[in-house]
Amino acid sequence: MRLLVTGASGFLGREVVRAAAAAGHDVHALVRPTANVEPLGWPAGVTVVRGDLRQIGEWATQLADIEAVAHLAAAPSGDLPTQFAGTVVATENLLAHLPMQSLRRFVHVSSFSVYDYGAVGFGGTLTEDTPIEPAPEKRDAYTITKIEQERLVVGACQTAGTEFVVIRPGAIVGAGKDWGFGRVIKLGRFDLVFSPGAKFPLTYVANCADAIVKALDASVPPGSLFNIVDDELPTYGGFHRLGRRLGGAAPALYLPWLGVSLLAGSVWVVNRLLFKGRAKLPEFLDRRRQRVRWQPMSYSNRAAKDVLGWRPTVPLREAVERIVGAPPETVSLDADRPRVAASATLAKRGK
Amino acid sequence: MNRLRAAVIGCGAIAHEHLGYLGSSARVELAAVCDASKATASFMRERFRARAWFTDAAALLQEVRPDVVHVLTPPQTHASLVRMCLEAGAHVICEKPMTGTAAETETLLSYARQHGKVLVESRNLLFNDVAIAIDRLVKDGSIGSVREVDVLLSLNLTAGPFGDLNLSGPGAQLPAGAAHDFLPHLAYLFLHFASVRVDVDQVIGFLENRSGNARVGYDHLDALIEAGEVRGRLRIASDIAPPAFRLVVRGTERSAESDFYNPFLRVEGGANIGKRAPLEQIGSGWKLTRAGFRNFFDKVRQHGTYHGMPRMLDAIYAALQAGEQPPISEADIIATARLVDRIAGLSKAI
Repeated sequence: MRLLVTGASGFLGREVVRAAAAAGHDVHALVRPTANVEPLGWPAGVTVVRGDLRQIGEWATQLADIEAVAHLAAAPSGDLPTQFAGTVVATENLLAHLPMQSLRRFVHVSSFSVYDYGAVGFGGTLTEDTPIEPAPEKRDAYTITKIEQERLVVGACQTAGTEFVVIRPGAIVGAGKDWGFGRVIKLGRFDLVFSPGAKFPLTYVANCADAIVKALDASVPPGSLFNIVDDELPTYGGFHRLGRRLGGAAPALYLPWLGVSLLAGSVWVVNRLLFKGRAKLPEFLDRRRQRVRWQPMSYSNRAAKDVLGWRPTVPLREAVERIVGAPPETVSLDADRPRVAASATLAKRGK
Repeated sequence: MNRLRAAVIGCGAIAHEHLGYLGSSARVELAAVCDASKATASFMRERFRARAWFTDAAALLQEVRPDVVHVLTPPQTHASLVRMCLEAGAHVICEKPMTGTAAETETLLSYARQHGKVLVESRNLLFNDVAIAIDRLVKDGSIGSVREVDVLLSLNLTAGPFGDLNLSGPGAQLPAGAAHDFLPHLAYLFLHFASVRVDVDQVIGFLENRSGNARVGYDHLDALIEAGEVRGRLRIASDIAPPAFRLVVRGTERSAESDFYNPFLRVEGGANIGKRAPLEQIGSGWKLTRAGFRNFFDKVRQHGTYHGMPRMLDAIYAALQAGEQPPISEADIIATARLVDRIAGLSKAI
């Protein structure tokens, strides 16, 4: 299929281009005008389309023959107006210039961020049936804009009768994006790691890209939705220990979920009393946002495996080796052994 | 008192600051928002609980018939929109710069007068805590006679949308490029604290592009101004740290200094400066420490650089409700535009 990949030079996009080209698609990679695509080593058959979706330009005239779309473009950082322009307005512009009626499929890449983690609760399982966050304005700009973006895509596809699939990946990891191996902040020479026993819902970037490419032509019910996480999910503590053993992380100070919750609860009370609840808090002190990252819970990738036929082919051990650039087979994987005392504990392993 | 029905045209970044007031003020009924982007307009309607949203300004004006319209679109679109709003019988609050030249601004103000409507250009920084504090020192005579007003804006203009090379066209379609978008702030601060309501005597200096970023236009200004007994230095620098928006007012008795980004108030001077200077420095240190704590809490409670905006808007709406002159006069707006014109005239061809 003649496939348009938006956000193609981004962290996930570059892998999607590679996987889609390998799967035989005629890939048109939409990248920003200043993007340097040469180091990405894409196959010669990939057509590079330059343009910025925030602004109607030459790119808009090059979409007439597109048969399928993998939409990854988004602005994941900046204030709300910046993210809104780069995520929502960009998507609106794209949808306005695509041949929606003749598209065979639109694969939209959303995010776990859109979910209502309060509805999952402690020890629950996040699935495709988990409701959407009802108060995104109380979370962050990313949640607001990803929900708006998804709503826009679904609405446009339904109006035009375009087949669409929504992919919601967990935390995408890969070389250059290790999420600090679960570090919240640095405290002197230590990494503060929250909720070391909770699962880290990661997906290795190449695995996630495979799922997106599978979604392009898999036989799925209209409007399907798939969560993407890998099969082997380490705990935050285990992930950090792996990083530490390979030289990618500092010694850890652990704070269990109970401590994390108490910390947030105390801050919430102070915020109510002193700031009438208006204080803008960092993620690690904000109750709602803490739940998203560190609440102990399970994650299911069953739908993606059963319906898309997707299998994460890069196992956790290999993924971590690739992230830190370590030679293969040098890492002993013992990701799920957090050592947590009742309060903050210094992890001495690896010293 | 009847609430005024307000509408906003243009829902970019600055609209969030206007709508924060409009969505919560008892003086206002937020009747409609409008943006060329349907997604943006509908989102802002929901976020700020406006009654309706539009993608076409003419349709908004015809259907909603607002009492007041906030024109918050890019500057090159202001003139036609302001005219359209005035013709529809609305007062207009326009973001700065109202137009690219003083002549255009004067024409629009005259047009507003002909239609019996108020047209105001935003000058929100004058309503910030620090500006009010320094204003008080000037008015109560603590400063003495003002002799110098310096304003320094150090901000990397290439880092934001003005210099984003992924976008085509100029970052700001104004004679002085991206710098022009900030010039009204510098100009009205100088004019206000220098108590100048007409043209200044002399403007010398240079306005340049030092970054090499073609999209940003001009990003470096160093202008010396003379207006009667008052001198001033207005600067924009994109290549120095930290980001700051410094205001210094020096008088015959004392000098006062502050910053709009990280506010503090340092007042120096006195009759016996030789002996009192060390103690005054200790006092300044203590005040700076207190300002640091206050700034920390201000950042936590989101009391930011735009905290003067709701005060300014409330003062304008109060005047409109009472049928009085708004706190920003036509003469102030014209004097600002003329000074901006002269500063823009310092530009060297890029």
